[in-house]
Amino acid sequence: MTSAFIEIRDIKKQYGPITAVKDVTLDIRKGEFMTFLGPSGSGKSTTLYMLAGFEYPTAGDIRLNGRTLLDTPSHKRNIGMVFQRYTLFPHLTVGENVAFPLRIRRLPKADVERKVREALRLVRLEGFEDRKPALMSGGQQQRVALARALVYDPPVLLMDEPLSALDKKLREEIQFEIRRIHQETGVTILYVTHDQEEALRLSDRIAVFSQGKIDQIGSGQTLYAEPATRFVAGFIGDSNFIDTDVVSVEGSHATLALPGGRTVSGVPLHSAGPGKTAALLLRPERIDLKVGEAGAADALSGTIRDITFLGNNTDVLVDIPAGKQLSVRLPFGHPMLDGLRPALPVALSFNPATVHAFQG
Amino acid sequence: MLLDFDRLGPWKWVLITITTLVCLFLLLPIVFIAALSFGSSQWLIFPPPGWTTRWYGELFADPRWLQSAFTSLKIAAIVTVLSVGIGFLAALSLNRGSFAGREVLRALFLTPMILPVVVLAVALYAFFLRIGLNGTTLGFIIAHLLIALPFSIISIGSALEGFDKSIEDAAILCGASPWEARLRVTVPAISHGLFGAAVFSFLASWDEVVLAIFMASPTLQTLPVKIWATLRQDLTPVIAAASTLLILFTMLLMIIAALVRRGSKQGTKP
Ligand SMILES: Nc1ncnc2c1ncn2[C@@H]1O[C@H](COP(=O)(O)OP(=O)(O)OP(=O)(O)O)[C@@H](O)[C@H]1O
Ligand SMILES: [Mg+2]
Repeated sequence: MTSAFIEIRDIKKQYGPITAVKDVTLDIRKGEFMTFLGPSGSGKSTTLYMLAGFEYPTAGDIRLNGRTLLDTPSHKRNIGMVFQRYTLFPHLTVGENVAFPLRIRRLPKADVERKVREALRLVRLEGFEDRKPALMSGGQQQRVALARALVYDPPVLLMDEPLSALDKKLREEIQFEIRRIHQETGVTILYVTHDQEEALRLSDRIAVFSQGKIDQIGSGQTLYAEPATRFVAGFIGDSNFIDTDVVSVEGSHATLALPGGRTVSGVPLHSAGPGKTAALLLRPERIDLKVGEAGAADALSGTIRDITFLGNNTDVLVDIPAGKQLSVRLPFGHPMLDGLRPALPVALSFNPATVHAFQG
Repeated sequence: MLLDFDRLGPWKWVLITITTLVCLFLLLPIVFIAALSFGSSQWLIFPPPGWTTRWYGELFADPRWLQSAFTSLKIAAIVTVLSVGIGFLAALSLNRGSFAGREVLRALFLTPMILPVVVLAVALYAFFLRIGLNGTTLGFIIAHLLIALPFSIISIGSALEGFDKSIEDAAILCGASPWEARLRVTVPAISHGLFGAAVFSFLASWDEVVLAIFMASPTLQTLPVKIWATLRQDLTPVIAAASTLLILFTMLLMIIAALVRRGSKQGTKP
């Protein structure tokens, strides 16, 4: 455990009666790309700001390389940060902006020039030295901000939704650049976003925030395949939840009664309480669909309500018993697609070992 | 647009007439004074029977006029520096702070603007009498600072309002201490607000007369006080000359301020 580069220990942040962050504990390895993902108001920025030193935790500790950061003021932490809003110094040119941290550190002039050139090359903005920020696009400004945050080789780079003001196409382009820069520099990055696609694309690991705490930490694949809570299951990827009754529990697995009366056994059960019901997570693309009445091996019967073509996928909305609906996703060119029509009876099945149930 | 100038029809001429009259109303006294200052009659007759620069000669030959102009300039300059400095700090705390009573404090800072100047003058006079500040440069400075500060706080405050605090935070993470960040990043970024504060503070002191009359002594007089005092003794066109120069100087400052404001707007907006 002591091998972690950044250790966040039980930090808490209280604003009067509001608890913005509660008991967040997290270890980050050197060179890791860690993303804080979560809905608005879940405490991602507050956690990041405590790392930056703009907020002081009500309780807990943050250590970098084994030493606490909390007694170091922001300007001495030597941390880089890119903000959600455009924060280039308006009266300075691009070159002067990137040179600013080096001038503060009183580096010799020749070093400043060389490092500024390198940093601007890193973000592919060579030749923009003499531009004023106001004359640059949002994407360019954020790249300059990135160069300014990296020019002094900080061990840690914080990014608080740096791309949220950009349009989708530009966002993807800069995500790619950020990934390349991460690989080229090896800097440890803490990245905040509420866009799951962005998190999945960029991160080594993702910490999913919900109401001021971390629900789960893991790689994108882990979070998708093995969600620890119903919140994570619903937040990462598309999901169907159906209400089931818990018939019996065998260790960490359960037998559940599905709408329509059939039961499935051997479903991994995540217990959040002693309730007799559980929400069953079914990913749309992991449900098998057959035309016709349900047989003995099928879990659910239903009728097709709607079919939506989405390019590489087609979503089939199926009415199931108890007035519920399930969305089933079929890839483009799936042999069964031609035979599907609304009002057609269908049978649904899934592998119980690969789904999850969350006891309520 | 509802009130499109080109579609007003005959109303257009009414509007033009009213605008012209208002402009004349505002400008005529100035033109009148300027004309009198070059008039050859020593009884301030209008229209002047002839033209001369004699009164300007007399003005510049009299050391008391120069002395009072210099006093005005000195007091206004010191008031400007103090007003911008204190105004910056006050605006910063009103803008950024989250302490109790912030709005009350803001209102308090702005009261000198709405308080009748005479009331302020009488109060200050009575107070300064006790602590011996009447007739001193310091007394002048404090009195004028009181009326200049609201202008500074408003001008700098609105500039800070339009300045994203994250930019200062970015400078701090870049390694600048909080005050270094404010001086190297915030101050240049809100320089138009600081400049506006300086111009308004200077003018607030430069052509202020009511407080100055209460603060003045026979040996310490600002230009407006000198004009007023001279006016009471004899009605010489030298007063018109002094007034004209005073107005010219004020106008010059306003023009510079307008130019700077336009320059800074072009700098920030592509
Ligand atoms: N200075 C503050 N005073 C009071 N409450 C605050 C303050 N800063 C944050 N909060 C509260 O703390 C909670 C977490 O805020 P935070 O900004 O960390 O959320 P976030 O996850 O970054 O959300 P977003 O995606 O909207 O940026 C919110 O409920 C917010 O209202
Ligand atoms: Mg945030």
